[in-house]
Amino acid sequence: MVKFERCSLNNGLRIIVHEDRSTPLVAMNILYNVGSRDEDPEMTGLAHLFEHLMFGGSKNIPDFDTPLLMVGGENNAFTNNDITNYYLTIPSVNIETGFWLESDRMFELDFSQKNLDIQRKVVSEEFNQRYLNQPYGDAMLILRALAYNVHPYRWPAIGRDVNHILKVNLRNIKDFFFSHYSPDNAILSLTGNISADKAFRLSEKWFGPIEKRNVKKRILPAEPKQMHERKLIVEKDVPSSALYKAWHIGPRESPDFHTFDLITDLLAGGDSGRLYNTLVREKKLFSEINAYITSDIDPGLVILSGKLMNNVNIKEAEKEVDNVITGLLEKQGILKEMEKVKNKYEASAVFSNTNILNKAMTLAYCELLGDAELINREIESYKAVTHEMVVDSVSNSLIHSNCSTLYYNSKRKDV
Amino acid sequence: MNYKKNIQPNIFPINKLSLTEPVLTNLNNGVPVYQIESGSEDIVRLEFAFRAGQIKENIPLLASTTNSMLTEGSANYTSEELNHILDFYGAFVNPYYDKDHASVVFFILNKHLEKILELSREILFAPIFPENELNALMKNRFQWYMVNREKVNNRANDLFFESAFGKNHPYGRQVTEDDFKNITQNSIIDFHKNYYSHNNMAVIISGKIPGITISLLNRFFGETFTESRVEDHPDNTITDQDNQKLHIKKKGSIQTAIRIGSTTINKRNPDYTGLKVLDSLLGGYFGSRLMKNIREEKGYTYGINSCISSLDLSGYKLISTEVSRKNVRHTIEEIYREISNLQKIPVEKGELTVVKNYMLGEMLRMFDGPFALADSFKAVWEYGLDNNYYRRLAEKIRTIDQDEIILLAKKYYNIDELHEITYG
Repeated sequence: MVKFERCSLNNGLRIIVHEDRSTPLVAMNILYNVGSRDEDPEMTGLAHLFEHLMFGGSKNIPDFDTPLLMVGGENNAFTNNDITNYYLTIPSVNIETGFWLESDRMFELDFSQKNLDIQRKVVSEEFNQRYLNQPYGDAMLILRALAYNVHPYRWPAIGRDVNHILKVNLRNIKDFFFSHYSPDNAILSLTGNISADKAFRLSEKWFGPIEKRNVKKRILPAEPKQMHERKLIVEKDVPSSALYKAWHIGPRESPDFHTFDLITDLLAGGDSGRLYNTLVREKKLFSEINAYITSDIDPGLVILSGKLMNNVNIKEAEKEVDNVITGLLEKQGILKEMEKVKNKYEASAVFSNTNILNKAMTLAYCELLGDAELINREIESYKAVTHEMVVDSVSNSLIHSNCSTLYYNSKRKDV
Repeated sequence: MNYKKNIQPNIFPINKLSLTEPVLTNLNNGVPVYQIESGSEDIVRLEFAFRAGQIKENIPLLASTTNSMLTEGSANYTSEELNHILDFYGAFVNPYYDKDHASVVFFILNKHLEKILELSREILFAPIFPENELNALMKNRFQWYMVNREKVNNRANDLFFESAFGKNHPYGRQVTEDDFKNITQNSIIDFHKNYYSHNNMAVIISGKIPGITISLLNRFFGETFTESRVEDHPDNTITDQDNQKLHIKKKGSIQTAIRIGSTTINKRNPDYTGLKVLDSLLGGYFGSRLMKNIREEKGYTYGINSCISSLDLSGYKLISTEVSRKNVRHTIEEIYREISNLQKIPVEKGELTVVKNYMLGEMLRMFDGPFALADSFKAVWEYGLDNNYYRRLAEKIRTIDQDEIILLAKKYYNIDELHEITYG
C-alpha cells in the first residue's frame, strides 16, 4: 500500500506526496503531458530534442546541472510517445534547490541558439548510436510505420528521420514550449524524506507564481481499424533473421488492457513463459523470443519479437508462434499458469516499491491516467482477469487480420 | 516576494552517512552469512556468492556457462519445473558472473522464504547440467555472441581487455567461435564441483529479515560440507600487449567506438579513493570535463564517460565513447588534452566543490534501501574489505585538494601507457 496526499495549485499544477522517512533522500518527478504523439509528422523527434534543451539553462538560472550537483543531487529524463518525464533525487536537506530549478524551467527556458545547435548534434548521435548502428536497431521504426497508418504512434520518440531533428529552429522550440509546458499540463510528485505539508508549501512558493498557458486540447487522428494482414520483408546485414509481429489493442484505459498485459506475461514472462518453453527450449526455433504490450495511452500494440536459430525457415517459425498463441484458448493447465503470473505481478509491485524514484514516477503516471490511487489498484484489475477474458481478447485481437508482420531477414548466405 | 529567482536556496551540508556493519553469523558448517537489516517491505534479497568467475576457468565460457546452467535442472526438478515454481512464488532469480566472482541472487517475498531456500539448495548444490539443455544453451549463446559481435561498443571493449590484460590471461582472453564447441557436460560438472563448494561460499542477505532465516539457512546449507582445494592456474600473470594502439574499421558502421585506458590499482590500494575523485572530474559524472567538452561543447557524442574498476588481481581505468568516424581523431586528441590538463593545471576550487558534493550525494544513493546496501557491501567484501572503505572514501572526498589531484593524475595517468582502441 503506497499512501500519499494530493493537492492542486490555482494554476492547475497537481502535486502528489508520499512520505517515506527510511531514506535520507527525496525523489522529485515532473511529468509533462506531452510526447512524440504531439509532434508534426514532418518534424518528428521534437519532443525528445526538447527534453535535451531543458538542461541548457532557464530564464534565471544559466546552468541546470551545476547547482543540483552542488547539493548532492542527480537527475535525468526520458521522452516516450505519450509523456516527457523529468526526475531527480536529492538529499532531503537540500530539496528546495530542486523546487527552485524545476520551477524556473517550467517558468521559461533560456532559448539559446548555441544550445540548440549542440543538442541537435548530440541527438543525431543518439539516433545513430541507439537505432542505426545496432543490429536490428531500426526494427521498431519499421514495425511502427507498418502497424500505424495515421496515428502519430507510427514513429518512435527518437523520430522517424534523423533529418527532422537537424532542421528544428528556435521558433519551433519556443512554440513547442509555450504550447505544452504549463503548470496545468504537468504533474509533480515527491517521495521520500519530506512531509506533505512542506512539499505543498514549497510547491506554492516556487510553482505558484507561474501562470497557466493556453494548452490546446489534444486532437489526434484515430487509427482506422485494420482489416487485413500486413506483411513486410526486409533484408539486412545481420547475423540471423528475426521475426516481429504487432497486433492492435485498445487504449490504456480500456477494460481489456490488463488482459493483454496478462496474456503477454503468459507468453513471455520470465523463463517459464510459453513462447520460451515451446519455441526456444523445446523446438529450438528461436534463440530468444519476447512479447509485451506497449502500454500506450491511445490504442497501443502487443509486440512480439524473436531471433531465429540458423537454418530455421521463418514461415515455419511463424506458424509455431501462431500455435502457441492459439494454445491460450485451451483451458487445460492454464489456470495454474494464470495464478503464477498474477503472483509474479504482485511480487514485482512490491519489489518496485522499495525504490522512492520508482514510486514517484508511478504516482505521477497513474495521476495522468486519471488517479494516483491506481498505484494500489492496478493489481486488483490484473488479478480479476479470467480465462474467459483471455479467450475473448486472443480471439478478437491476436488474429491475422489485425496483425502486422515484419520478416527481418539476414542477407548472409550461411544463415 | 522575499526571495530572488536567480539565487539558489540555502545549501546545507549533506547528511553524514550512518553506516552499520552487516551482522556476521556462521552456519553450523562455518559458511559466513552477512545480514543487513533494512527497509519496510516484507522482502529479502539473498545472494549466494562464490569465487567462481572467469579467473578460475581454464577455457573460455566455462564460468559463465556453469553459472547459467544452474537453473537448468536438478536432482529433483526439471528446468521447466524449477522456473515454473520460482515464478509461481513470485521470486526473481539472477544468476550473475564477472571476471572474479559468480553468484545467484534471489529476490524473495518473506512469506515464501522457506520454499525458495529449498529450491535454491537444488539450484546451487544439486544441479545435474542435463546434456540436452546444455546443447540448447550453447546454441543460443552462440547466436547471441554473433549478434553482440556486431555491436561496435562490445567489440571495442573486448579488444581493450585483450590489449590491457593480454591474450592469455582470463581477464583479457577473447571468446572465439570454436570455444562454443569445447564446453562439455563433464567440464561443467568439474567446474561446479571445484568452485561451487561450501568452503568457497558466502551468503549476503538484506531486507526485512525474518527471525527464522538463520535456522532455515542452517537446515538447507549448514549441515553438509563440500570442500574443494584447487590450485589456481599458474598462467596468471598479466602482461599487456606490446602494440597499444589498435584501429579497426567495420564496414558500413556509422559510428566508431573509442576505448582508452590501462590497468591500474584496485580498492585495496590507499590511493584508490583519491583516484575515484580524479576519475569523476575527468569523466565520472554528467558535469565531468569529458562530457562538457565532447558532448556539451562539440556535440560529437551522445555520451562519454570514464570509470575505474577493481579486479581481484588488478584494476583498470577506461574511457568510453561512440562518435561519428569523422570526429574520431579530434575526440582522441581532446581526451589526451583533458588528461594532461589535470596533470598540469590545478583544478579550480569551484569545480572541485561541485564534484565533491556530487560524490557525497552519490554515497547516500549507494546506501539507500536494502538492494543498494547489499550491492555496496558486496563491492568491498569481495576485496576482503569492510564498510571502513566507504568511511575512508567519504573522508577523502571531503579533504582532497588540488595538489593531490595533480599528484594522482601524474602518478596514474601516464599517457604513454594508455591503450587506444577504435572499432567501427
